[in-house]
Amino acid sequence: MSILYVLIPLALLLLGGAVWAFFWAVGSGQFDDLDTPAVRIVMDDDTKPDQDDKS
Amino acid sequence: MTTGADTCFHCALPVPAACKLTVEIEGEQRPVCCPGCKAVAELIRDTGMSRYYDLRDAPEPGVGRPAEEAAEWQVFDSPEMLKAFTESHDEMLEATIYVGGMYCSACSWLIETTLGKQPGVKSAEVNPITHRLRLRFPSGEASLSGYLATLANLGYQPQPLSPESTTRPEVTEQRAALKRLLVASLGMMQVMMFAVGLYAMDFQGIDPDMQHFLRLVSFFVTTPVVFYAAKPFFKSAWRGVVARKPGMDLPVSIAVGSAYIASVYATYTRGEAVWFDSVTMFVFFLTLGRFLEMRARHRSIDRSAALSSLLPNTATRIDSGVHSVVPVSQLATGDRVLIRAGEPIPADGILASGTTSVDEALLTGEARPRAKALGDELSAGSINLDGMIEMTVTSTGSDTTLGTISRLSERARYARPAFVTLADKIASYIVLALLVVATGVATFWYFTDPDRAFVITLSVLVVTCPCALALATPAAFAAAGSRLSQLRLLVTNGNAIESLSRATLAMFDKTGTLTMGMPRITAVFVTDNAWTEKDCRIVAAALEHASTHPLARAFAVPDKLPEVTSHEIVVGLGVRGIIDHREWRLGNTAFVGSGVATDDSTATHVFLACDENVVAWFELEDEVRPDAGQTLNKLRSLGIATALVSGDNRAAVESVAAKLAIDDTYCECTPEDKLAIIEGAQRRGDRVVMIGDGINDAPVLAGADTSIAPAHGALLAQTSADVIMLGDTLAPLTTAVEMSRKTMRIVRQNIAWAIVYNTLALPLAAAGYVPPWAAAIGMSASSLIVVLNALRLNRFE
Repeated sequence: MSILYVLIPLALLLLGGAVWAFFWAVGSGQFDDLDTPAVRIVMDDDTKPDQDDKS
Repeated sequence: MTTGADTCFHCALPVPAACKLTVEIEGEQRPVCCPGCKAVAELIRDTGMSRYYDLRDAPEPGVGRPAEEAAEWQVFDSPEMLKAFTESHDEMLEATIYVGGMYCSACSWLIETTLGKQPGVKSAEVNPITHRLRLRFPSGEASLSGYLATLANLGYQPQPLSPESTTRPEVTEQRAALKRLLVASLGMMQVMMFAVGLYAMDFQGIDPDMQHFLRLVSFFVTTPVVFYAAKPFFKSAWRGVVARKPGMDLPVSIAVGSAYIASVYATYTRGEAVWFDSVTMFVFFLTLGRFLEMRARHRSIDRSAALSSLLPNTATRIDSGVHSVVPVSQLATGDRVLIRAGEPIPADGILASGTTSVDEALLTGEARPRAKALGDELSAGSINLDGMIEMTVTSTGSDTTLGTISRLSERARYARPAFVTLADKIASYIVLALLVVATGVATFWYFTDPDRAFVITLSVLVVTCPCALALATPAAFAAAGSRLSQLRLLVTNGNAIESLSRATLAMFDKTGTLTMGMPRITAVFVTDNAWTEKDCRIVAAALEHASTHPLARAFAVPDKLPEVTSHEIVVGLGVRGIIDHREWRLGNTAFVGSGVATDDSTATHVFLACDENVVAWFELEDEVRPDAGQTLNKLRSLGIATALVSGDNRAAVESVAAKLAIDDTYCECTPEDKLAIIEGAQRRGDRVVMIGDGINDAPVLAGADTSIAPAHGALLAQTSADVIMLGDTLAPLTTAVEMSRKTMRIVRQNIAWAIVYNTLALPLAAAGYVPPWAAAIGMSASSLIVVLNALRLNRFE
């Protein structure tokens, strides 16, 4: 059980890292738009005029 | 998504019969309404973006139609302009551009991909909710004007924003809320894990050191949750105490604060139990609730920015005879500005030279042009139709009439609905009662079983938290609002849902609401046998061809038009020109000199004369919307009576009323009369919904219980309206009524549930049968049930 004395602080360190990374991401504006990314995935942007299919 | 054969493939406006333009997209010839739309559609096809047409939602007619003339963008390349409109980050410039004319996610895809292929563009990101494009490009190399021109060529109206105007309070608020939510959720998950360990040890026997260690790490994780994530609750509770209006946040703060302090004390003294798990779970669910409420509040679309995009970007200033193109933001009071025919007016001012007629539809919703003479006032945002004029600026920017309107709408957006405020007020009484009960419970247990007094009081405070009650109404309203905006209805006033659900009488304005607002020729009376009806139509079409008058569109014919020489537009009267050596005039009685008496006046009459002799007259009438009859029938089946109030004359109003079988009609009403009619109906006990679109309707809309304005009407009408209907149909009206009734049903269910839960849980907790962790689960579950019940509204069809 004494391994917990190492593992739990390690987990807390990782947690702190995750929180820091998230704060940085929010601060840089990555989460300002919570609606578009959900639909962006369905939009292709590699269709060439000559490859246009009618599907 | 395809549009009908007679509407423009690109912008969905009706294609004039005379127009034979088509564009080949995905192997088919598609009709378009004008060379501008053809150019845009071809540009979209040639850049490989044809899928835009498959991806977009049903277009709002007219949106995406390119401007008649290319604006002068070069002015934005000057160093001062770049400095004013961009921010520089290590060799890169970043510009925020408001993109007018966007209406769905496909637009943002089209803009991002097209601009992304432009030389120099590092990144282009569009937020379809706020209609803002963030563009990054290297300084020195690329030109902002080129990007703006590309946007304009795609049929959008770009408007660069200065960096100060882009950092908006909503963004800051959302960022802070997201951080709090993350801290609370991660903290809760961690503490839960440690709590499982602690509970398991309770059953299996305990290693005291390990228990102390787990409590200690729980304390480390809980501390930021309490002091960072729960900070707004403490602040708001303190504000409530200072203002002597205790809110929901007071018992929340007492519960969180006391449980935290007691747990810290128990950890320090190695006491009986800790409640870190209850604390973090409680804070997490509260933060989540607040976050969802905030998102719903922000979702209402930023219409004030849409207003500023209606102003031109640049203006032509005259400094002692020298013309220079300057950005509108640099205009000052007293400047003299030149405005060419077809250009929008950049600021409020006084006509200083020339005469013209202007289209003030933006402000008044009135499509007919208004004649302006020397010394008349001109409003920013209206369009100069005929002559080249000079204007002396009297006010600019946010001081203009347009700016005032946008400020009013901004204020309306931040106001909280009275219904929610009422719920808060009730909650504050419940809170007081709870505090009294909790004190009573604490005192009772202190004298009977002092060891358990704290735990039981804590459970009472947590389990009876009126969160479910406080969430009951806002959660349902937020869900209804978001679903309604998907159904193309914008709710700008939260009260609207409540009042709409009780509506008993729907009053309609006529022009532009029940009718198309765009006249068509309904009859041609030829008085001179030398000409046929077809001749007259063709001559009229030829004469009106070059006119910008709104009635002119009605005259378009599919035939080849004869050539007109000496063509002249006489402002406010009509047009004249020479065809085949004969002088033709087309216009009103005064202009043509006709003595033809027209007894009924349901329609507008336009006369055609050849060499001073009247040969024909046209009757133009505003047609009833195709879906009006169906919508009104549905309203009646929902138990809502219909009425028509209009400023038009009796014959015109009654012909529409008869077609639609409207219950009551009132004609020749001034706005005061309309208001009096509404107040009369309200005294008789009716709940009135007013549907109108004109500027004159603004006070009337404000007087009704609920007001609805179509999005194509006057902006002032929209700012006084509770609900704005997007799109060009009346059908959303019945959806709104059904939805509002369903919402109120859900609100009642939620409130009933919250009351039942609290009355059951309170005695159990007071009797000591509920441990704090179960209280936290019970409180969270009851809030969750309320939110889930509200979310059912999202599936409303």
